[in-house]
Amino acid sequence: MSTSTETETRPAFAITKARTRFFGLSFDECIQTFFGGSALVAVLVLGLIVVFLFREGAQFFSQNRQNLEVYRRAGLEYVDYIRQQESAHTALTRYLADVRLRALTHFTQTEQLPLGDANARLADFDAYADRFADAALSLRGVANDLGDVATSIKTKFSVSQDRLVQRTQLLAAGRKDEADAVPIETINFSQELQPIIMTFPAYRIVRDAFADELNAIVATVPEMPTAGLRERMESFQRLTREYVATFPETERLMQTWDHRKPVSFAESFSAFLFGRQWLTASFWQDWYGILPLLTGSLMVSGVALTIAVPLGVGAAIYINQLARSGEQKLIKPAIEFISAIPSVVLGFFGIAILGTLLREVSQVGWLRWLPGFPIAERLNVLTAGCLLALISIPTIFTLAEDALNNVPRAFKEGSYALGASRVQTMLRIIVPAALSGIVSAVLLGFGRVIGETMVVLLCAGNRIAIPDFTQGLGVFTQPVHTMTGIIAQEMGEVVRGSIHYRALFVVGMVLFFLSLVINYVAQRIVRRRLAVG
Amino acid sequence: METPVTTAPAVSRSINIAGRAASLPPGRTLIDIEALDFFYGQKQALFDINLKLEEKRVTAFIGPSGCGKSTLLRCLNRMNDLIDGARIQRGSIKVRDTDIHDRSVDPIELRKRVGMVFQKSNPFPKSIYENVTYGLRIQGIRNKTRLDEAVEKSLRGAALWDEVKDRLHESGLSLSGGQQQRLCIARAIAVDPEILLMDEPCSALDPIATAKIEELINELKTKYTIIIVTHSMQQAARCSDKTAFFYLGRLIEYDETRKIFMNPSNPQTEAYVSGRFG
Repeated sequence: MSTSTETETRPAFAITKARTRFFGLSFDECIQTFFGGSALVAVLVLGLIVVFLFREGAQFFSQNRQNLEVYRRAGLEYVDYIRQQESAHTALTRYLADVRLRALTHFTQTEQLPLGDANARLADFDAYADRFADAALSLRGVANDLGDVATSIKTKFSVSQDRLVQRTQLLAAGRKDEADAVPIETINFSQELQPIIMTFPAYRIVRDAFADELNAIVATVPEMPTAGLRERMESFQRLTREYVATFPETERLMQTWDHRKPVSFAESFSAFLFGRQWLTASFWQDWYGILPLLTGSLMVSGVALTIAVPLGVGAAIYINQLARSGEQKLIKPAIEFISAIPSVVLGFFGIAILGTLLREVSQVGWLRWLPGFPIAERLNVLTAGCLLALISIPTIFTLAEDALNNVPRAFKEGSYALGASRVQTMLRIIVPAALSGIVSAVLLGFGRVIGETMVVLLCAGNRIAIPDFTQGLGVFTQPVHTMTGIIAQEMGEVVRGSIHYRALFVVGMVLFFLSLVINYVAQRIVRRRLAVG
Repeated sequence: METPVTTAPAVSRSINIAGRAASLPPGRTLIDIEALDFFYGQKQALFDINLKLEEKRVTAFIGPSGCGKSTLLRCLNRMNDLIDGARIQRGSIKVRDTDIHDRSVDPIELRKRVGMVFQKSNPFPKSIYENVTYGLRIQGIRNKTRLDEAVEKSLRGAALWDEVKDRLHESGLSLSGGQQQRLCIARAIAVDPEILLMDEPCSALDPIATAKIEELINELKTKYTIIIVTHSMQQAARCSDKTAFFYLGRLIEYDETRKIFMNPSNPQTEAYVSGRFG
């Protein structure tokens, strides 16, 4: 405005850049570079983690293939056919033991017999069970003999492999004389396997005798005191007959078995992905199957979410819609504070208090009807799940509350103006409008839970096995191991570069992808909500 | 009790327009606002408002921003209850001689009788059908035929039926701005209120959509008592029977619309309607 009077000393039209510069950058550009750099570092770190995981994990599948190949070449796979046959028989003897226990309980509790008399009443049954158990003795002998041969082949092979490595190392060190002195034995598997293959006719004789004996045994059953037990014995007969009926199939497998058959990558892959055993440092054969760990992780997360979703979402709705501002000021920080508790402290709490408490509660007489009660193990899925619920509640609560908060005020007013009550507005307008946000909150809570390590390591019981799902809901009172737990527990003990080490990395990869997918889906849901709202 | 208003005067304490000829036969008083003082916390927003609103007429509230016209409107269906610290200090609002702020009054029942259309159209993120039936559903009506009938009747009433009858189950948010606003009107009249409050219903709309809404208001006044807050003087002139001018929380002048615009009694009103301030 004032320039109109200064036409004589007309100033330059100063629009060129004239600012202080650091390293050729203006101040604004420096700030931009700093923020851009920070973002870049975050992305780079993510990239590095992915690359690192892949580099370490990818070799697992080839190593596992070798592992499975040795299993086949050394005849362990062949012997396992017999061993499986034998262990199926052991399962049947366990079934008989279970029936005996039930019968004993019947005699001592229902009929009030003294223990000695009760046992006497079961003498017939015991003789029957013993006969059944003894039937497999010769089969077990065969399995053990062949097993010894197979393990010795495997040992021989691994010794020769070790020597090969030793020689390569010596050669690399330039000590050629010593390297040449290392005796290398090439293993001719076909020849080594001869003793095993040759016993097939002997096996067949033993097995036929075994089958005859079983058929003879189950032709009759001992007298049982109750209808329920008689039924159990009938199903025992049926199970045994079914078992004997599998013999021809086993025989076919053994006959067609060929140790030279190559192991494909797909086999190595499916042995990991669908493997039901995670067995390491075994004298017989190592198995790296993720199923027991995955089941454990999913079960623990399932329990955690079952508890945390109603609590977290419910609290969010209450705080956002119903609470007075005084309550809001108290409850909100309190819930958010839960996430500040270190998970190791929670885990400690779980071991010291919650586990014991749950078990003691489960022993209360009138709670017996609940599935899985009384709890046998102090540390189990339920204990870990309860604590993980506590960990995921702040995540679910905060995000769900945000989602509810983001519902436009206009919806609320529109609903009130039509004569809706507070609860109607909440349930029919606000919660549905925030639903996608709530769902993504739950998903992110799930991501938080499945990645949690310390609590599950301390409280889940760490039994590496797929729990027994025949128990129904009681399965949730069994101990499990988890993907995160196994990495934390075993990573410190494994030899770097060994197959076990790599297997743990692959577990880490699975975990990483699971979290990635969960986060991606959650973000997609949120984005869709923004597009609509 | 319905007291016929003999002449327009006395409704405004600030100005006396007794004796002037009214162009429209006076309606019966439906809403009687007496000596109303309204506060947001410590801040007084309305000062001593006295106003008698007539049945089956369109009354426009005009005035510059922050003059309290929306606040007064929101008092009529107690939407101000939702705001912390909002309260009526003195005075009363009576609809057919019932004080709507009485303890015995259920604001939910009140709002069923007094519908409202907001400045920014706010259809729920539901289908068109669900939007219209919402008010009935919350009253517990589930009968399909009854809901269907109500949807058609309300959408016809809001002059929207022909445009949406083939896509009743699409989201209400998929409509254009003007259609959304008419959907909100349909939603409001679906519960069959007596009074319709409109808080600047056209401020976010283009002239064509605005014209449609104004036309609609003219049709609706045969069945409903309409109170409309507007910033547009033309709109007030075009579609209202009576106009109230507010300034700084006070009612300055209330009279026949024609008189307010042609021959206002108060110089402030005159300055405002002629565009010299506001």
